[in-house]
Parts: sequence; C-alpha cells; structure tokens
Amino acid sequence: MNDVAETEHTVPAADSRETVLSVQDLSTEFRGKKGSVRAVDGMSFDLKKGEILSIVGESGSGKSVTSLSIMGLLPYPTGHIAEGRILFEGRDLATLSDREMRKLRGAGLSMIFQEPLTSLNPVLSIGRQMTEGIIQHLGLSREEAKKRAIEMMRRVSIPAPEARLKDYPHQYSGGMLQRIMIAISMSCDPRILIADEPTTALDVTIQAQILELMRNLRDRTGASIVLITHDMGVVAEMADRVIVMYCGRKVEEGRVDRIFARPKHPYTLGLLRSLPVLGHAGPVGSAELAEIPGVVPSLDALPPGCRFSDRCRFATDRCRAENPPFEEAEPGHFTACWHSEKLEPLA
Amino acid sequence: MQQRVKSAIDIAAAAGSGAPARVGFGRRMVAVLGAATANRGAKVGLVLVGILIVVAVFAPWIAPYGSDQMGAGMGLMPPSADYWFGTDEFGRDVFSRVVYGARLTIQVGVIAVGISLTVGTLMGLIAGYAGGWVERILMRLVDVVFSFTETLIALAAVAVLGPSLTNAMIAVGIAAIPFYARVAYSVTLVERNKAYFDAAYVAGAGHLRLIFIHLLPNILPPLIVVATLGVSSAVLAAAGLSFLGLGAQPPSPEWGAMLSAGRDYFTQASWIMIYPGLAIMVTVLAFNLLGDGIREALDPRQKAK
Amino acid sequence: MARFLIQRLLAAILTIFVTTVAVSMLIHLVPGDPVQIMYAQSQGTTPEQLEAVRERLGLNDPLYQQYLSYVGRLLQGDLGVTIRGEQPVLELLLLRLPNTLILASSALLIASAIGLSFGFLAAYKRGTWLDTTLMTTAILGVSMPHFWLGLILLFYFAVHLGWFPVAGSGFPNLVLPAVTLGLTNAAIIARLTRSSMIDIFDQDFVRTAHAKGLPKAMVLYRHALRAGLVPIVTMMGLQFTYMMGGAIVVENVFGWNGVGRMAIQAIFQRDYPLIQGFILMFAIVVVLVSILMDVIYAFLDPRIRH
Repeated sequence: MNDVAETEHTVPAADSRETVLSVQDLSTEFRGKKGSVRAVDGMSFDLKKGEILSIVGESGSGKSVTSLSIMGLLPYPTGHIAEGRILFEGRDLATLSDREMRKLRGAGLSMIFQEPLTSLNPVLSIGRQMTEGIIQHLGLSREEAKKRAIEMMRRVSIPAPEARLKDYPHQYSGGMLQRIMIAISMSCDPRILIADEPTTALDVTIQAQILELMRNLRDRTGASIVLITHDMGVVAEMADRVIVMYCGRKVEEGRVDRIFARPKHPYTLGLLRSLPVLGHAGPVGSAELAEIPGVVPSLDALPPGCRFSDRCRFATDRCRAENPPFEEAEPGHFTACWHSEKLEPLA
Repeated sequence: MQQRVKSAIDIAAAAGSGAPARVGFGRRMVAVLGAATANRGAKVGLVLVGILIVVAVFAPWIAPYGSDQMGAGMGLMPPSADYWFGTDEFGRDVFSRVVYGARLTIQVGVIAVGISLTVGTLMGLIAGYAGGWVERILMRLVDVVFSFTETLIALAAVAVLGPSLTNAMIAVGIAAIPFYARVAYSVTLVERNKAYFDAAYVAGAGHLRLIFIHLLPNILPPLIVVATLGVSSAVLAAAGLSFLGLGAQPPSPEWGAMLSAGRDYFTQASWIMIYPGLAIMVTVLAFNLLGDGIREALDPRQKAK
Repeated sequence: MARFLIQRLLAAILTIFVTTVAVSMLIHLVPGDPVQIMYAQSQGTTPEQLEAVRERLGLNDPLYQQYLSYVGRLLQGDLGVTIRGEQPVLELLLLRLPNTLILASSALLIASAIGLSFGFLAAYKRGTWLDTTLMTTAILGVSMPHFWLGLILLFYFAVHLGWFPVAGSGFPNLVLPAVTLGLTNAAIIARLTRSSMIDIFDQDFVRTAHAKGLPKAMVLYRHALRAGLVPIVTMMGLQFTYMMGGAIVVENVFGWNGVGRMAIQAIFQRDYPLIQGFILMFAIVVVLVSILMDVIYAFLDPRIRH
C-alpha cells in the first residue's frame, strides 16, 4: 500500500502552489428543538490550486456539513455558520449576501452530490438542466449554451450528446447521470469542485470510471477538488491530501501516503483496517465499522474530552477528561491524539 | 383523497411498527398520544375531544334544561346568563340542546366509523391475505367505489335506506369503507411478510387461524389509530346529511338538524344556527388537530431530524 | 404514454360498468317494496296501478335481464321517466347539469387560486409566523362545515348587506355558493400543496439547482413548482369531484338550481329513476374528469410521456 500510494501520487511540494480556498476555524450549528448542536467545530484547512483534498469520516462526522457551509447551501432556517471564515478569491463566503453567493455557485465553486438520479430534476430535460447554469453565469445565448453543453457532454464521454440533450433523467443510467452532473458542475470553469460522495451510489466498475474522469478534468482545467467520502479506497485512488473528521472536528490531516503508511489517530487506523483489501476501491460498510466498536455518538451527547474516547482502544483517563490539541506529529502531518506515538506504522 | 389514504397508511405503518408482534396496544397508544401532544395543536385537540366526551357523558347534569323541553324560556331569546346560547322558536334552551347533541355526535362517530372500520378491515384483510384474483377483484372494486366521493356514496345509501339518523350513520359508515379497506390492505401486506406470519404458516395454521389469530390482532391497533382520526369526516358528513333533512329529524338535538331548523330564524335569532354550527366545527377541528399531531409525531422524516 | 392512457381508459370503462350494475340493482336493495315506497306519497294508487309500474320498470324480470334491458335503454339515451310527473330523467338532468358544473368549476378556480398560492407560500416560509398563521386558518377551514359557512355568508352578504340576491340562478347568485365551496376546499388544497411543496423543497434536485447558482425565483418556479405540479394536478382532479359532491349540499343552501338540489328532492320523494340517473351521471362526470387529469398528468410527467 505504501508503495502504491507513493508512486501514484506524485504531489508537487504543496507549499509552492497558490491557495484557492482557505477555511478558518469554521463552526456550523443547527438549531433543533433541544437547542443548537454544533455539527462542525473549528474546522480549518487550505486548498491548493489543482489539489485533490479528501475529507473522510463516517456519516455524522461533519464532512458534508463542511461542504454545504462552503457552498452556502445549509438547510434554511435551521443551519447556520456560527463562527469562522471561508476565504475564496479574497472574499469571505460566510459573510456574502445570498445574491453574491448565487453568482459564485456553479461558477467559481460547484458541487456534485451522492445520488445522481435524485439530484437532477425529473421533469426537466437534461439539455435544460445543462444549459440554464451556462446561460446564467456565462451570459451565453440559448444556442451557444447548447453548444457548450454538448461540448461538456463530449468531455465526460456521453455518446451522441446532441440526441441525448432532449432526454430526461429517467432515460439515463446512474453512471451516465453522474457524468452529466460532473459536466454541469464543470461547465462554467469552476476553480473548485466539491464532490460529496460522488461514487457511493454507483457500481464499483462505474465508480472507477467516474473517479478517473474527475482526475482527468482536474489535470485538464487545474481546478481543485474537495472529495467528501467515507471510503478509504476512493481516498487512496484520488487524494493528494486527506483530512479525517470525527464528530465535527478534524482528527488527522496529512499527505495521503503518510496517512496510509503511518496513521497517527486511532480512528484513522480503524478506518484503514476496515478496508476489505487495503488500497482497493470498495465500499466500506457504512453503519458500523468492523474495526471500530460502537457507533458515532450523537452530537447532543458527546463524551467529554476526546470525542473518540468511548470507542478507542488506546483511551486513558486523560483522553476522557481532556481534549487533545490538533498538533503537528511529523512535518506536514497533524493529529489530535494524546497517544499518537503509540500507533504502529501499517505494514 | 389519495393523499388521505397515503397519509393514513403512513400513520398506520408508523403506529404498527416498532413494537413486536401482538404486544401492548394500550402502551403503544399512550406512547403515540404522548409523542403527539408534544405538538401544541394536538394538545388542544386532545383537550377538546376530552371535553366533548365529558359533555356527552354528563349531559343531563350539565344541561340546565331538557333537550326537548319547550318553553324553558320565551321563544327566540338572545343569549343571556340564564340561556347561554339563547332559546329557539319553541323556547327550548339552545345550550341544553347543543349539550345533548354531543351524545348524538359521539354516537355518529362511533357507529359510522365502527361500520367502515369493521367492513373495510375485513375486505382489506381478505384481499391482502388471499392474493391472486380475490385480491385483484376486491381491490379493483374498492378503487372504483373510491373514485366517487364519499358524499355521493352516502347519498346513494340514504336514498336506498330512507332518511333517518340511524340510516345516515350507516350511510356515512358505508361511504368510508373503501378508505379503510385500502389502509387495511396495505397494512396486511406488510404484516404477512413478517417472520411470525411465515412461522405460523409453516406450522400449518389454517386460513381462519392465520387471518383472525395472527393477522387481525396485528393490523387492528394501527387501524384504530387511523379510525380515531376518521371520526372528523364522519361527523362532518353525518351533520351534512342531517342538515339536508336526510339524517336526524326534528325535534332531535342533532347539530346539523338544529342548524337546518334554525336557518328560518336567522335574521331574528342567529344564535339558533350559530352555536350548533360552532359545535360541529369545534368537534371536527379537535379530531383534525389530533390527527395532524399524531401524523407529525409518527412521521419518520420528522423523527430523523 | 399510449400504454398508460389505455390502462386508464380500461379502468374508466370498468368504473362505468360497475356503476351501471350498482345503479340498475339499486332499487332491489331498498328494504321493503320499492314500488310501494315510491308511491307512498301519492294518494289513491291501487294495487293494480302499482303492479303496472312494477311491470313497466321490469322489476318482475330476472335480474340479468333487468340489467341488460337497462344497459340497452341506456345506450339509446333512455334513462327512464320520473315517478312524479313522468318526465324524462335524462332531459331533467341535462337541463341542470351545466349549473352544477359552473358552480363546481368556479369553486375550483377560487379554491386553486387561494389554496395553491397560500400553500406554496406556507411551504416556502415554513416554520415562520406566516406559515403558522396560514396553516391555522387552513385547519379551521377544513373543519368548517360548508353548509354552515354558506348560511353565514348568505345571511350576512345577501340578507343583511343585500349585496347579492338570496336565490336564483344568475351570475350574482353564483358568487356566494362558489365562494362557500371554494373557501372550504381552498383550505384542503392549501394543506396538500404545502406538504407536497415541502417534500419538493427537500429534494436533492432543488439543492442542485441552488448549487448551480440559479436565481431564487428560477429555482422556485422552474425547478420546484414544475416538479410539484405533477402531484398537484392529480390532486386537482380529485378536488373537482369533491366540489361536485360539495355542490350537492351548497346548492341546497343557496337554492342554486343544479343537479344536487334535484337529487335531494328526488331522495325525499323516493323517485328512484331520477336517483339512478343522477348517480350514473355523477359517475360519468367523475370518470371524464379523471381521464382528462390523466392526460394532463401524462403530458406533465416525462417519466410517463416517454
């Protein structure tokens, strides 16, 4: 695994590249009947140009909420950004008005989702759904937008795009629809593509195709990708850098090869051990991970101290009392664990 | 209507799930009501239903006069401290009549819903159990009858039976059979796919045993929840029939009939008509509020949030 | 699409078939002797005359023969004659049907205009005071007996204020019954629209539309409303049948000269041929409306169109 990761991910020195997105101390809250819960708590990261950053965690870890916060798509009126800044091209997205945000969405930042079939409107033609964003953001005429849509469909390898523009979502397969989603999201040359579990709902063979397509688009356009997933196999195949989240907080961050070779957080270790065959792109059982006992605690019943302490086999009294700081364990490799030095490197 | 069926099926499914087979309907009902009353509207509904029942049960003690007591006061007296809702053209106390009317309303609710629930459940149960052509014919028939409004079915039934309060109750009950048949059918389909049914089947239980000992006790609890909510439309429909003169006949203190009789005096004595109408509305509202609350409490999407 | 429509058409034919069977047998369900009941209100009918009626209505024939001859006459447009006055039933019904259809359609128009916009608004502003206010009004509306609302409107606006005539069948007479029927059903439509739009607003494709950066109005109208129309149109068809049912009651409140008012009189008079004709006619209207709705539905939903 170690070798694979190191040879496949020839990452240029991360520091040399321009930062396109900087999330600083982001906290997102949801108002509920029993008061507010903090779904994302003090999240920070920088995204470099052309980089593929993977945010990993089980459901409820806050990875999707982080992406929705960046896109300004938090469910209204319950979800809101409580603290922090999201800097993109010199502006703080957290403070932008709805109108300004709409100009950026789909143009500067775009997003694709897990379920391609439900993510497209069943009663509008694919052509309509492809061109409306182009017309909106690039100011093209209907005809020009159609040409651009066809070009985008070609780029994501949809056969006979002219004919298929008139079709409706139910006439496409899941894999083809996800291609369409990617084409839509890339059609206005975004600097950042956020992909929230883009392959989870697809067959394994289709998964690989979609991932390759995304990588090619990155190479071609230089866009950065934030890849949200719970699947370490997908991470191994795609990511330059990884952030592992647990209960709304970052628990580990580093280059993908380092994380796969020498995980510094017991949670990451558990995620890696849960892979059916290490390094193989396959779905991880989502409900309960074999290697990690118990389930993710509810956000309104978090344990004091380290949030992972009640599921962690390394946990000591200190873990249950004091929250570990997020610190650099090795150069460029950060973690929040009192016992990170106890973890053995993976063979 | 389709929406009503859909939401009723959702409620039934939610009320039926969670508990193991054949355990504690009472406890489940309490749990459902408890969850529902977190909703403010449902709380109001529950209180109003409670008041209605109390009024009906203790009518003779609550009502200052008899329901048919003529000359309790002068004719057409406006509401006052002595006659809270005024008096009608015969000098009967409108308040007392409305109070006694609550008894008839409860009776309508119980009998009409009882008829539709019993027959509908049997039809749905048999269709769902038997499958094949029995299922197809029964449910097709239910669909056909269902496409007419309940008003028309009730009218046809009254036309056959002739006008009277009892016949109106029966008519309203018949009209809602397709509704309950559909809900019962879908609940039966769910139940017969559960392990306990397979176990009983494999153990060689006969048709009757499978239907009445195994399926019925399990589909009944959720159906009763749905039926409670069906009371509002039964009350409304029966009052409508009485208003048209096809249900309760004067001098019955049935609210719809009172309203109908009061219309002739509206300009001089609007209270004769206002209060029975208000009573119908509050009763229907109470069950609707309760229904909305239960629906919300049982809605899996609400729970997930 | 053709397959879908053929299926619906077959269902419609089945409905009509079942209705004709039920209607032709209706008279035999009457407890007691239907002919005697029918003529109970006319004085001095001799047993011979009753027997003649029985013969004329074919009540002595075997049931299947009664059904066949009923359908046979039906196909010739013969719905029989009324017991009282011996007038042709079809003619009487057709004379009044337009009034009922006008009432039901105007009510549907009012109900949809109010119900759709309020329901949409409440869904859009869900959880706010506006939503609460609109939905509280709506639940009061669905709980309100329309005969009661009708009487109140009648006495206030027609008798007290004198803005509208109290009885008759002209346009000014249409206003109050249409509003009565429209308002109570507006409440039902508003509730259904709200819940169906909330479902739509929660759909992934609405989020996608936002993620594309489309203007809010475009997300609401092109994406959400367009998708929401499909269930809403289906609901409208059903609402029309409700209006037809509700019209029966409301016509009686306002003395609107439609089939509903005639039907109630027929029930009082035990005029079975007229009642049978009314039920059959009602069934045909319901079937025609549902076919129309299926066509619109098929047209609106590409999943069926293709």
